[in-house]
Amino acid sequence: MSEKATGTLSGYDTPECETLAEIVKRSLRTSDSIGIDRCIQCGACTASCPAARFTDYNPREIVKRVMENDCSVIGDETIWNCFYCYTCHLRCPRNNSPSQVVQVLRQLSINEGTGLDKIDMLFEYGIIFAEIGVSKLPPLFFEQMETDFDEHWLEFKENLDEVRSELGLGPIGIRDNGRGEIRAILEGTGFFERVGRLEQTATTETDSKQSFRRDGK
Amino acid sequence: MKTIEHIPDQGILLFKTCMVTNEYPGIESSSTYAFDRLGVDYFVSDEQSCCTGLGFYFDLFDQLSTTAIAARNFAIAKKKGYPNITAMCSTCYAINKKACSLLNGNEEVRTKINSIFRQAGLDDLVYEQNSLDEVDNFYHVVEIFLSKAKRIGALNTIDLSGVRVAAHHACHYYKIHYDDVIGNPENPQLIDTIARSCGADVVEWYEDRTLTCGAGFSQRHINRETSLKVTHAKLESLKNAGVDLVLHMCPNCQIQYDRYQPVIEKEFGTKYDLVHMHISQFVALALGANPDKVCGFRTHSVPLDDFLNRLK
Repeated sequence: MSEKATGTLSGYDTPECETLAEIVKRSLRTSDSIGIDRCIQCGACTASCPAARFTDYNPREIVKRVMENDCSVIGDETIWNCFYCYTCHLRCPRNNSPSQVVQVLRQLSINEGTGLDKIDMLFEYGIIFAEIGVSKLPPLFFEQMETDFDEHWLEFKENLDEVRSELGLGPIGIRDNGRGEIRAILEGTGFFERVGRLEQTATTETDSKQSFRRDGK
Repeated sequence: MKTIEHIPDQGILLFKTCMVTNEYPGIESSSTYAFDRLGVDYFVSDEQSCCTGLGFYFDLFDQLSTTAIAARNFAIAKKKGYPNITAMCSTCYAINKKACSLLNGNEEVRTKINSIFRQAGLDDLVYEQNSLDEVDNFYHVVEIFLSKAKRIGALNTIDLSGVRVAAHHACHYYKIHYDDVIGNPENPQLIDTIARSCGADVVEWYEDRTLTCGAGFSQRHINRETSLKVTHAKLESLKNAGVDLVLHMCPNCQIQYDRYQPVIEKEFGTKYDLVHMHISQFVALALGANPDKVCGFRTHSVPLDDFLNRLK
């Protein structure tokens, strides 16, 4: 039997443990063999990291703070700069993976509420995916792309079905024999329950921020 | 360790990808065109869903849900008799491999997911341990093309002499499951070998060859400035190496280069004489596919007309 964790849905990615290093090791998001205890602080990760090259993010230091059980690392804004490119994961001579460590830290930050503003625009993504079985970017991202890209792109997006059919491709959505399989599976794992809870917290936080501003404090 | 002799050309489930479906559908039609021409036995399923990789790396999806969705797709592949799950996207490839590894190696996860299937009346989706192998059943289209590089070269219809080509091997193919990369993960040569077999002038080591495309999933949206700085650095190094064509193996990278190149030109006040395409589009083109009706180049943001005219 694996040592990886159980319980509620969050229990799989962020199991309740005594230390941050234990949470990282037992999280389903990380490799079973993750070498966080073997880290020798050589800095190969930071030397290879695109986020370290362009921002204040420092994977070597992030791992050090996890090893020292410094929980302030969960609220450190720089953890949101990682590209998930896994260059550190490839280069680490001790089979550690700062990229996976940061994934767990971000989940902890989301659970605590401090990281919610990084994903609150995504809540719709799961609902669309459950309906059509295909990932689509949520409206806020789409708006940014509309601003960035030219009319040619927008025209293509508007005629996507036609373009696909000219290429001999079928409809975008999947066929699931009328069983609503994707929705049923995500209900079974507790995905919607978790996202619903996060959404509620995000709304409450936004409300309290707004009333904070209204009070002029 | 995966070697080139391992690469199958039978029982291939061409795994559909959200960013191909929605952004570059020509990558899918190019893949099937090339597979038909090369005699690859494949199947495309209208039941198969996305891998959830986008949601997973946006930090929204959890590993259990992602694994359960993967198990459903694995059931479809097995039921149809096409168990060699082959991706056009590096993230689909990595997500599926990891899900298979968890389903085989973690009894608790397997039991949990199977009980979810049974409770929902989806008993036909139940995953049996080791019914797929995380190495032997998971591929990327570039590996299939690599195994047929000589044949592609022999059938090549375009004159690539003097065309400077560079590869961007996608991070999620060679940096996540680095033990299963064909060749050296510190210097993957898959795309280079295919391009060379078609007579292209391949630029091996441009300065930022191993740098990420800069998309970084949420980075493109929550840290847009940094994301574009990375892509700008990469484009500069390609420009300095005199590259004409960049070959990709991931639609997310292709969005980052093809869609954002004009944005970067505007915001950084520069100009690039570079075009982008996926390895499937390149192979299809080499095998004589129509650039519009098969390769779907009209959906690109950087026009390829001048480049294609040069090849004639």
